[in-house]
Parts: sequence; structure tokens; C-alpha cells
Amino acid sequence: MLSKLARRLGFCVLLLLVMTFVLFPIYWMITTSLKVPLDYATRDPAWFPTRLTGEHYLSLWRGRAYRYLGNTVLVAMSATALSLSVGLMAAYALARFRFPAKLDVLFLLWVLLVRMAPPVVMAIPLYTTLRTLGLLNTHLGLMVVYQIYVLPYAIWMLLGFVREVPIEVEEAAAIDGASKWKTLRAVVLPLVGPGLVATAIFSVIMTWNEFIYALLFLRTPDRFTLPIHIANFITEYEILWGELMAIGIMSSLPILFLSGYVQRHLLKGFAMQLK
Amino acid sequence: MRCHPLFFKLMRSKPAPKRPWHERHFNLLLLLPALLIIAFLTIYPLVNVVRLSFYEYNYLRGTPKFVGVENYVRLFRDRFFLDGLRNTFYFSIAATVAEVGLGLFLAILFHRRFRGRRLLLPLLIFPMMLSTMVVCSIWRSMYHFDYGILNHLLESLTPAVNWVLGLFGRSPLEPIRIRWLFDPDLALWSVVLVDIWQWTPMAFLILLAGLQSIPRELYEAAKVDGASGPALFRRITLPLLRNHLFLALLLRSIDTFKIFDKVYALTGGGPGSATETISFYIYREGFKYFNMGRASAASVVMFLAVTGVSALYIRQVLGRTSAQ
Repeated sequence: MLSKLARRLGFCVLLLLVMTFVLFPIYWMITTSLKVPLDYATRDPAWFPTRLTGEHYLSLWRGRAYRYLGNTVLVAMSATALSLSVGLMAAYALARFRFPAKLDVLFLLWVLLVRMAPPVVMAIPLYTTLRTLGLLNTHLGLMVVYQIYVLPYAIWMLLGFVREVPIEVEEAAAIDGASKWKTLRAVVLPLVGPGLVATAIFSVIMTWNEFIYALLFLRTPDRFTLPIHIANFITEYEILWGELMAIGIMSSLPILFLSGYVQRHLLKGFAMQLK
Repeated sequence: MRCHPLFFKLMRSKPAPKRPWHERHFNLLLLLPALLIIAFLTIYPLVNVVRLSFYEYNYLRGTPKFVGVENYVRLFRDRFFLDGLRNTFYFSIAATVAEVGLGLFLAILFHRRFRGRRLLLPLLIFPMMLSTMVVCSIWRSMYHFDYGILNHLLESLTPAVNWVLGLFGRSPLEPIRIRWLFDPDLALWSVVLVDIWQWTPMAFLILLAGLQSIPRELYEAAKVDGASGPALFRRITLPLLRNHLFLALLLRSIDTFKIFDKVYALTGGGPGSATETISFYIYREGFKYFNMGRASAASVVMFLAVTGVSALYIRQVLGRTSAQ
């Protein structure tokens, strides 16, 4: 009886330690964003805010930080839209048709390899290419470059969803005289709808947090995405932590909402998400 | 203008097409946009990076000059590159082992049912939802030498430690402050700790899924046969978890091998070359010194290293797809 109690106590202590390690930094981010500077810019920082303040969020607004939010939304959405449309077509083709000489396996191999190559390896030739095309320092260029991440990912995820569509439905459509394109649009598309939404959310999360290409290919601060703005903020202003944490929260909230929506697919999504 | 005779033969021998051409080549047409984009974004750059690695090319100063393998020779004499190589391996191995080990521990902890589990689970995977830059800003503020909470914690714990030491008759310690990110011997491990905090949840999720896929009857049967806790773990859990463990190890090692953003935001590669990594080296050579040739050579070396690890993963993934 006593040993059972001791074991339960041990379990609870372990759990408490783990949760403290995991949650303390998040607690620290939230409270710091609400503290007055006297509470954190000191050798004796306050564990609890002595006074709550919204000044950091106000100064975000005054510094027009929503520009970066806007840029991030724009790039993430357009990259996702492109990758979904191109990715769905490719996934459908790969799932439904036999290709000569194992072309489909080769294609998937390539997709995986790209997914695993370090982004910095591709950075130098991509930089020169974007410069030649005049796409350097534009959102369009960044959106195209992001296809490196999101397109293979979209194909991989959607392949699974397309395979779950029963082929009989398509055969029925074909018998009714629908063209293949029409079948894809009117029959398959609605059926993979939920899969598309999940894929889109992961793709948005990926591009939302992307760092290295945005750092290398965007030059004008007006066009920065949130991660680049945060990185600049960290390195330029040593201890403006209140504002820094406020930006952090602003840039994390949309992602947290989205990821709550796809919790069911979390594992599959993140297994492929190799940054 | 002359046409190849075969052309006419083909024209004649073809039966009247029942379907338009875009119906017959529908599958290829569907695949084409993806193929084009991927070729443009990967094949072309990869070929280019290999080519550039044989040139000396500083594009602020002019045209590329062919130098053969000199870039590679210089690369392996560059202390920063060698340090970067070593640090990358240290970082990758340490972070991977710690994340998968802790992840396994947590997965076992959360595999049992207890009250509050459904509430704690989403909280536990919170860190991996945050953008790396957000994670870095939190930890950089906590690591700060003067104002960071970690050093403050160390200082406020000192009296308690000294009290315990006093009980054993030892002399008290001076209050210490740690230079988390500026001590050459410690900086890399501070970065590792941040990575552990952020990505252990991923290993945890993979391994928890693995544990849940093991049928409970197996354990019950083994218990009937008289097996005890450690034997159950060694004989049932570990072998059946092998695939998931492998996946977690591989994914984390590939990920950690690319380490760039944390180094950029936390230490900038310093102090000295203490947190230099290959990715960071390529970034600095290519985009700070515009030394494109050398950076390309480093890229090629890194790509080859990653491909080795990736080959393992791809084989695993393909094996599973064809088994289904």
C-alpha cells in the first residue's frame, strides 16, 4: 500500500518536473510581454509581474508591426495555394496511373531527397537565379522558392488522401461520360476536401515559420516576414524583451489556432516537416 | 523543310483518335507542372552548385575563374570549416540522442492513463508549434548573463545549496553566474538545450504512436508467463518499437544536421568558432564574404553527407509504402 503511494507520488513529481521544464519558457514569454521594463531589465527579475501593462503591444501597433504580419500572411497563403493546386494534380496522377519505368517511384524519391537536403545548400544558386530573373527581394520570388519545401510535402500528404478515394466513384463518373479533368474537379476534389484543408494548414505553418530563405532573399525591411523581423529585433535591441515577446505571441497565435485544428494529423504532418 | 519518313508512317498507321490528346496524356499533363517546378528549383540549382564549386567566384569582383579542386583543398584547411564540421556532428548527435531518449521517457510516462492526461498532452507539444525565432527570443532572454532568469535562479539557489553543504561540513560556494552563450566550452550545449526543448515533443509524438500500436494483450500474456517490468520492456516494448525509434532518430538527426537558425539568432557562430556549423559556414562565406566558390564547395560536401543519411530514411519509407 505504502509502496503504491510512493510510486504514485514519484510519478506526480516526475510529471511536475517535465511540465515545468516545458511550460516555464512559455510562461516567461507571456508574462514578460505584460511586464513593465523595471520587472525584467534588472539583475533581480520578477517571477510574477508586479504590474500588468499593455505598453509593449501598443508599441507594436505604433511601430506598424502588422506590416510583417501582412507580409507573412501573403507569402504563406500564396505559396500554399500554388503548392496545393500543383500538388493535388501531381498526387492524383501518381496515385491513379501507371507510369513507364517506375517514373513514379523515382519522382517520390526525388521529392524525399529534396525534402531532406539542407536549404542552405540550394541558397547560392537560387540567389543567382532570382537575381537574373529580377525576383530577388520580392514576395513573388520567395513564394516560388518556398515550393522547395511545400510542394514535395503537399504531394506526399495528398497522395495518402487521394488513395483513400474509392476508384468506383471515378469509374461511375467516367461511365456517365465525364472527361478526366471534369472527374478530377467535380468528383475527386470534393472528396479530398478535408485532406486539402489539413495539408494547407501544415503548408501555412511551414512557410509561416520559414527563416533562412526569407533571410537571404528579402532585403528591404518593409518586405520582411515575421521570423526575419524577430531575428533582427533579437540581434539589434539587446533587451527590449517586452516588445520582443509581444511580437512572438502575435506571430505564434495564428499557428496555435491552426495546429489545434489539425491535431489529428499532427504526427503525419510533422514527420514530413523537416526544416 | 523535310520531314522524317517515319513521321508519315506514324501519321498513317495511327487509328483515328477517339479521345483528344489531352485526355490520352492526362496523367503526364497533371504531373508536368510539379515536375517543372521541382526541376527548376532543385535540379538546376544542384547542377549549378556543383559547377560553381570548381570556380573562384566573388561576384562583387567579377567573373568566375576555373580553379579545379582548389576550393575543396582550401576548405579542408580552413579551421572554421573543420570546426563547423565537428560542431555539426556534436550538435546533431547530442541533440538527437537526448531528444529521442527524453521522448521515449515521456512517451512511456504518457502511455499510461491518468487524470489530466488529455489536458497535459497538447501542452506538452506546445514548444514545437512555436516558430524557431520565437523560441530563440525566449531562450536568449532567459540565458542573458545579467538579466536572465536562469542566472538569477542559480544565484537565489546558492544559499540553499550552501545550507546543505554546511550540514556536511563543507565550505560554502560563491554565488555563480554562467555565461551560457559566451563561454566557448558551453555555448554549443546551450544551443543543444534549446533544440531539445523545442523538438523533444516531436520524438515524443512518434514514439507515443509507436507505443499505442503495440497490442496490450502481448503484455498480459507475458505477465501470465511471469515476466516482470524490465523484461517486458526489453523483450516486448523495444523490439516492437524499433521502427518508430528508427524513424525518430533519423528524422531528428537529419533535422539537427541542418542547424542554422538557432546559431544565427543565439550566438552568431561565436564565441570564436565555438558554435560554427556547416550551414552557418556556408551562409557566411556565401552571403557575407560573397565567396561563392568556396561556399559552393562546402555545400557539395554537406549535401553528400546528408544524402548518406537520407538514403537510409528513403529506403525505410519506400519499404513501408510498398508493404501497404
